[in-house]
Amino acid sequence: MGFQRTNDIVDEALEVFQRSCRSSMGIAGDVMVALFTADGDLVNAAAGTYLHAIIQPIIVKFIRKHYARNPGIAEGDIWCANDALYGGIHNPDVVCLVPIFHEGMLIAWAGAANHTTETGAIEPGGMPVSASSRFEEGLNLPPVKIGQGGEIREDWLEVFGAYGIRAPQMVVTDLKARATAADRVRTRIVELADKEGRDWVVGLMRKMMLVAEEGARRRIASWPDGKFRCVTFSDALGTQQGLVRSAYLTLEKTGDRLLFDFTGTSPENTSSYHAHVQSTVGHVANYVYSNVFYDLPISSATFAPMDFKIPRGTVLNPDDRAATSNAVMVCTGVMSATPNVFAKLMFSSQEDWRRVVASASNAGNAMVIAGLSQWGLPFADMIAYSINTEGQGGRPTMNGMDSFGFPWCPFGRAPDVELMENEFPILIPISQHWPDSCGHGKHRGGVGTVQVWVAHQAPMVFFMAIADNSKIQTPQPLFGGYAPCTVPGLSVRSADFVRRLPETGVGMDFRTLVDQANVPGQWVNEFNGRVVRPYGEGDVITFGFSAGGAGYGDPLEADPEAVTEDIRQGKVSAETAARVYRVAYDAERQLPLLEETERLRQQERRSRLSRGRPYAEFAAEWAGLKPSDEILVNYGSWPEAKALQPVIRM
Amino acid sequence: MERIRITEYLDLDLDDEIWRCHNCDHRLGSAEANYKESCLVHARDPREIHPPLIEGEFTFAPDPNWVRIVEFYCAGCGTQVETEYLPPGHPITHDIQLDVGSLRRRLESGELVVREGRLAAGGNE
Repeated sequence: MGFQRTNDIVDEALEVFQRSCRSSMGIAGDVMVALFTADGDLVNAAAGTYLHAIIQPIIVKFIRKHYARNPGIAEGDIWCANDALYGGIHNPDVVCLVPIFHEGMLIAWAGAANHTTETGAIEPGGMPVSASSRFEEGLNLPPVKIGQGGEIREDWLEVFGAYGIRAPQMVVTDLKARATAADRVRTRIVELADKEGRDWVVGLMRKMMLVAEEGARRRIASWPDGKFRCVTFSDALGTQQGLVRSAYLTLEKTGDRLLFDFTGTSPENTSSYHAHVQSTVGHVANYVYSNVFYDLPISSATFAPMDFKIPRGTVLNPDDRAATSNAVMVCTGVMSATPNVFAKLMFSSQEDWRRVVASASNAGNAMVIAGLSQWGLPFADMIAYSINTEGQGGRPTMNGMDSFGFPWCPFGRAPDVELMENEFPILIPISQHWPDSCGHGKHRGGVGTVQVWVAHQAPMVFFMAIADNSKIQTPQPLFGGYAPCTVPGLSVRSADFVRRLPETGVGMDFRTLVDQANVPGQWVNEFNGRVVRPYGEGDVITFGFSAGGAGYGDPLEADPEAVTEDIRQGKVSAETAARVYRVAYDAERQLPLLEETERLRQQERRSRLSRGRPYAEFAAEWAGLKPSDEILVNYGSWPEAKALQPVIRM
Repeated sequence: MERIRITEYLDLDLDDEIWRCHNCDHRLGSAEANYKESCLVHARDPREIHPPLIEGEFTFAPDPNWVRIVEFYCAGCGTQVETEYLPPGHPITHDIQLDVGSLRRRLESGELVVREGRLAAGGNE
């Protein structure tokens, strides 16, 4: 009952938080509310984003260690931090923490964190792709006391307003939302202590920690010992294209312990695509909390049996001066490799095999628009739709969920189109599932979505895209499936879309639009990551894609009826069904031809036996291949990915 | 001892300490080694699976200069046991390296049992 009471408290505060936020990400659910012990250990949380869960104890412990005497920790304090050097993920993620006192005694802490898409950096949106060091990232705030007596100080509000000058109402409102949500937890915990007694509350938190650690250890111990590996790649650092070995993960399981070893990951560089170590761990926590230990309290103690080896000098553990505002982008590798190695560790478990899942898309196609809105207000925001509608990976017994959500934030939700059009000077004529965006397999990944964003009702809209995956996709498939397809950066200038649309009768369907390029104007096809540029009225700013999840299992084992249903629903094309799934399909009756399908599949299996070569023969030729030096510019040495030169930052 | 299902298509045969195809029972090498070394292997141009939809440098298809799809087939039945998206020439990943000795000891001690082809707690921990 006590456990559930803490669930109710953080859930209530989460609802308050989302309703109080102003940023698109906050409204969409990229938030977390947490309860800590007096020492700063995480006891329970509501998310939102598990990403934030593992890091906040670092900040509370820092405050306790360094600020207990000066400026002191008092009832009514409001503390704040967003600097990844002091325990954050990246600086758009801001946390407010409040101590919880009961009759003069510190008994707990409450925290609320969310991603606000403006930091006063050299580019709008809070994740500047061209930042080369932390000195170009805008506000990087170590833990500081910003409020006393339950009120945020006016001078600190001014600081946030100044750094948020591109969108002050969003930055300041989100700050107040954090303090409000944390205070709601504080209020309810004090009420609980009044009712049940202070010792009962403190004991409950201790019990929850013990249960979490014991549960985690018991589950880990039930799996076979061994080493499980996955390697992932990305194709850019910001807009600079080049191959990066974004995660080389060896998960070593011994007894009731796990070691995450990232040796072999590419070296650091001069971009903002780095993650400090706790941020790397946070990206592991996303999957671990939501899948592996979904039934345990979201607690620091869950991680007690886990160790991490993250070599200094890699993109996952750079120098203190490194820019890390795109930590979440470089950690797409961590997020993709983690479910893959756990799948190979857990599939033999009678208790856990059904929770195995192929990697989600983890694309994070973060589209930023900025300028003056149709209401005359300055804005700079990240449109949550293209990240909150990604596809889940395929599962042992079923397909991945279509447009399931935001891999960084399993409980996030896509914003309503009407809300987007009301808040920003854009028109969105289509929002639909994106056919063939999934990784194919026995159980395909969930498909992503596509929207078309047209500049509307403002003379100019600035746009940038924090995205990659135009040359390769990062997720590895699972057990013989395929990864999702890649994503180009598509826009149409001088489209005059709104006025011309009725005249041309363009079909409101993605494939029709793209196949026939029948939006008048100048089509631009470029890398998905794009620097800031202006668009005028009627321009198609971008096709906003969210990617699909990775596939699970051999596509030749996919149920022909299910593939046919996917054709009917526009999630898989008839062409793909024939080429990849080898499903024979009666287009007129929209039915699978089962005998012909089986014949085609047997034929394909024989083709595999014919074209497949013995490993030694294959490996001898394969080892002689290598991508061009131009592609390997940010990779490190080939193929080990070791640093080739020191990184100098001023 | 019974077979233990390690992946969708890989069984561990503890009697012979070898990998076997789950679909056809074909032997896929020593359990101490990488099962991929006993598969037939084919590196595929990714555009065969993800065809270009538009013209230009970026087409919705992965670029074969950057990545290939390495497919591992069971030599007995042609099942696609595993796939990896790797840059051309990148070393193949030894993705599953079980401590077979530890697993055998835990089964013999009763700490673990095999139930319906998978591992479960044996109640003798």
